[in-house]
Amino acid sequence: MGFNGLTVGIIIILLGLYGVLTRKNTIKMVMCLYIMSSGVVLFFVSLGYVTDGQAAIFEDGSRLMVDPLPQAIMLTTIVIGLVITSLTLALALRIYEEYKTVDVRDLINKQND
Amino acid sequence: MRRISNVVRIFTRKLFPFMLLYGCYLISHGHLSPGGGFQGGVIFGSAIILLGLVEGVKATEKRFQEMLLSLVKNIGMLVFVLAGFTGMFLGGFFLSDFIPKGEIGTVPSAGLILYLNLTVGFMVGTGIAVVFYRLVRFGSND
Amino acid sequence: MTKVLPIMLLLILGFFIFSAVNIHYGQPVFDSSKYYIDHGVADTGALNIVTSIYLGYRAYDTLGEATVFFAAALGVFMLLRRSGEGERD
Repeated sequence: MGFNGLTVGIIIILLGLYGVLTRKNTIKMVMCLYIMSSGVVLFFVSLGYVTDGQAAIFEDGSRLMVDPLPQAIMLTTIVIGLVITSLTLALALRIYEEYKTVDVRDLINKQND
Repeated sequence: MRRISNVVRIFTRKLFPFMLLYGCYLISHGHLSPGGGFQGGVIFGSAIILLGLVEGVKATEKRFQEMLLSLVKNIGMLVFVLAGFTGMFLGGFFLSDFIPKGEIGTVPSAGLILYLNLTVGFMVGTGIAVVFYRLVRFGSND
Repeated sequence: MTKVLPIMLLLILGFFIFSAVNIHYGQPVFDSSKYYIDHGVADTGALNIVTSIYLGYRAYDTLGEATVFFAAALGVFMLLRRSGEGERD
C-alpha cells in the first residue's frame, strides 16, 4: 500500500466527504461534491497504470503501453461532473432568490414553517 | 469592485485569438496527439470565459452573442445523431464508419472520428460559454 | 463532540476502505485493453488509442454523454431566465 495514485484518490474522496458533512453553506457543499468526483477520476485512471509503460499514442516501435480504457471512460466522467455541478449551482441560485439565504440550517427552519 | 489590472487586460486581449486557435488545434488533431473533442472544447470555452472576466460580461456578449452560441450547441447535437443515422443507412450499424480512410498520420485519415471530434468540440465549448453567461448575468437587471 | 464525530467517522471509513482495496499497482487489470492496443490503429486509423476507443469502438457512450451535456446545459439555460423572457404564458 505505497504512496501512489490509488491511495491519494481515496484520500481525496474522504476529504471531500468531510467537506460535505461539515460545511453549512450550500455552495461549499456542492464544491465538495465536485472534489469527490475528482478523487474518483484519479483513482480510476491510476488503476490502469502498467509499470514502465508509455502513453497510449502509437509511435514507431512497439513498446509497453499504459491501459487506455479507464482514460476513455473518465473523459466522459469529467465532463458530466462539470455540467452536473453547474446545474446544482443554478439550483442553489434559485434557492437563494426564493428564500434569501444559502445556510442549510436556516433553510430547514424555513421549510418547516 | 476592484478593477482588473492593466497588464492582465492587455495581455488577455492580445492572446485571445491564439487561445481560440489552440483550442481548434486540439480539437482537429485529436486522433494524432493527445487531445480530442472534450479537451479542445473546454479550452475554447475557457477562452471566452476569460475574455468575459476581463472585459465585462456585457461587452463580451455583444461580440459572442448568446443566441448564436446556443444555436451552435443545438445544431451540434443534431449533427451527431444525423451522422449516426447516415452510417446506418449506408453501411451496417448505427455510427459506423462510412468515410474512406486516408494514410495513417495525416489529419483526414481517421474517417468519421475527425467529424465527430469537431462536433463534440464545438458543442462543449459553446455549451460552457452559455452556462457561464447564464450563471453570471442572473439577478442583474440589464 | 460534534466536531470530533465527522473525523472519527472518516478515520473508520478510511481504515475499512484501505483494508479492502487489494490491487497490485502496476499490473494490467483489464483484458479488453490488449485487443484495443493491438488492433486499434488498423481498425479505425487513429494513432491516439484513447480517441479510437471513445469515438471508434464505443461511440454510443459518447452519444449518451453528449445527450447528458445537452440536457444539463438546457436545464441551466431554462432555470435562470430573467423576468420578461417568455417566462409566463
